[in-house]
Amino acid sequence: MAESIRTGRRKPAGPLAYAALVAASLFAVGPLLWALSTSFKSPDAVLTDTSWIPSAPTLENYTIVLFESQVPRYLFNSVVVAGATVLATLVLATLGAYATARFRFRGRGASLFFILMTSMIPGIAILVPLYFLAVEVGVYDSYLGLIVVYTAWQVPTVLWMLRGFFQTIPTSLEEAGRIDGASDLRVMVQLVLPLAKPGLAAAAVIAFVYVWNDYLIAATMVSSDDKRLVSVGLYNYLSQYGIEWGQLTAAVLVTIVPMVVLFVLMEKRLVAGLSAGATKG
Amino acid sequence: MTVKSPEAPPVREHRPVPAVQARRRPSTRPRLLPYGLLLPAVVVVAVVSVFPIVFALNLSLHETRFTQLEDFVGLDNYAAILGSSAGWASIGRSLIYVVASLALAIPMSLGIAHLLNRPARFRLVFRALILMPWVISQTVAALLWRWLLNADYGPLGLGDVAGTRIDVFADPVQAMAALILVNVWISYPLATILCLAALQTIPAELEEASDVDGAGPFTRFRRITLPMMAPTLFVVAILLTLLYFNMVTLVLTFTAGGPFGATQLVSLDAFNESFSFFNLGLGAAYSVILFVFNIVFGAAYIKLIRSEGDG
Repeated sequence: MAESIRTGRRKPAGPLAYAALVAASLFAVGPLLWALSTSFKSPDAVLTDTSWIPSAPTLENYTIVLFESQVPRYLFNSVVVAGATVLATLVLATLGAYATARFRFRGRGASLFFILMTSMIPGIAILVPLYFLAVEVGVYDSYLGLIVVYTAWQVPTVLWMLRGFFQTIPTSLEEAGRIDGASDLRVMVQLVLPLAKPGLAAAAVIAFVYVWNDYLIAATMVSSDDKRLVSVGLYNYLSQYGIEWGQLTAAVLVTIVPMVVLFVLMEKRLVAGLSAGATKG
Repeated sequence: MTVKSPEAPPVREHRPVPAVQARRRPSTRPRLLPYGLLLPAVVVVAVVSVFPIVFALNLSLHETRFTQLEDFVGLDNYAAILGSSAGWASIGRSLIYVVASLALAIPMSLGIAHLLNRPARFRLVFRALILMPWVISQTVAALLWRWLLNADYGPLGLGDVAGTRIDVFADPVQAMAALILVNVWISYPLATILCLAALQTIPAELEEASDVDGAGPFTRFRRITLPMMAPTLFVVAILLTLLYFNMVTLVLTFTAGGPFGATQLVSLDAFNESFSFFNLGLGAAYSVILFVFNIVFGAAYIKLIRSEGDG
């Protein structure tokens, strides 16, 4: 049903629409294509060959990045931290969202407002205090410190998003579950969460991309090379060797491949999950 | 992603609620459960966001020497910023940057979402390509665009455009324009995804009906699409505004505030004072000013959406 409503009778795109789509695509991937081209050029060719197709393509940059640099290690770190953050965020935000969507209780409005307000705090404002706090508590330069900070920053938006999603799920099912004697927690985990899957998937992707793209927190909270995340690792790599554009662009492409794969796999689900829930208040 | 005001009008009406749902049976329900469920989220947010912002407010009222808190100086740090032309120049540049980026990104996202919502050949390919900058980090985006716009080794031939050499990074106006362009490049995809999701909740029948009634595309957009998109556009506007005001990474890695301070934004001042010059008090004052801007803009949007809901 949904599919026929969405696309069935909308007017198909005309030539102008195609032109606009192509223009937008070029704008979107232009810088990436140029990086792709550069990554196959030798150091000399980078400075002499300004054509989009390399005249003498080489894999040299890629072998250096993959086998002689720390880039694979940075990738691993980012996957671990982003994955753990997504898990922690989903657990905390789901519980909070469910509580505020399904129960009336004193302080509900105030708590929601409080959580919303914290998303207005600029990251740069709390970076210095967070650094001191992390050193004090002993989580500076650890995965744990990063995960806790990222989770706290993602919980407000994800909580609001999931709350909207829960509100679109009819409560009749839960009432039936309760009449059958299931506890509140069981009703939530076994009846509501499966229905909320699209919303959870969308929230997971958004949180994952956020962590993957962040630079400031990762640069402030970690100092040892072994625990460095990919966004910071790339930047250091750049200053360490001067600007070696061939290697740098190869490193950039290596690091965005996992994200592009994730994106292509999840993109449809993401839009579907968001349209099912996120537009509700 | 739904930074949402409770006042936002719902997109679709709920079906009438069956009586059994509306009735509450509080007797068997443990009263503490909702608190227990919400508590972990509130605690984490309080420790990681609220405690530090209070710490930062306190810092901004003190003189600092490296990491040491010295004398209480009241609002002197704020006076140093708001009493100087350099401070106001940064605020002005931040406003230009935010407003220009919003003016480009929001219509662009809405337009692209509209295009991607229509049936077309290779629709999925276009969608994947157009939304791809979303997964590019700000650092990488800055490097890629610096390399693309490079006057000497770039592919656009900017070194010799009809005899003149265009060095984007040496010209104050061009540098700001390029910064805004790259900013839009990294931020439009998420906005487009949100718009696309909202567009898909508008039933095609509704658009069809307006066609039958003889409404042109403009009227249809104004009467159907825009009102139904209002809550989402509100969310998008808030998200982007916060992102733009607080933007440090992109500016730092793309222009580092140059040339001649032409792209020196408040957010970059906050970063530089704190991390380059170790004037933690002054840096904190800059970031509190940012916080105030976030709140003012957030409140303005909420007011806007509320008045639209009334009308």
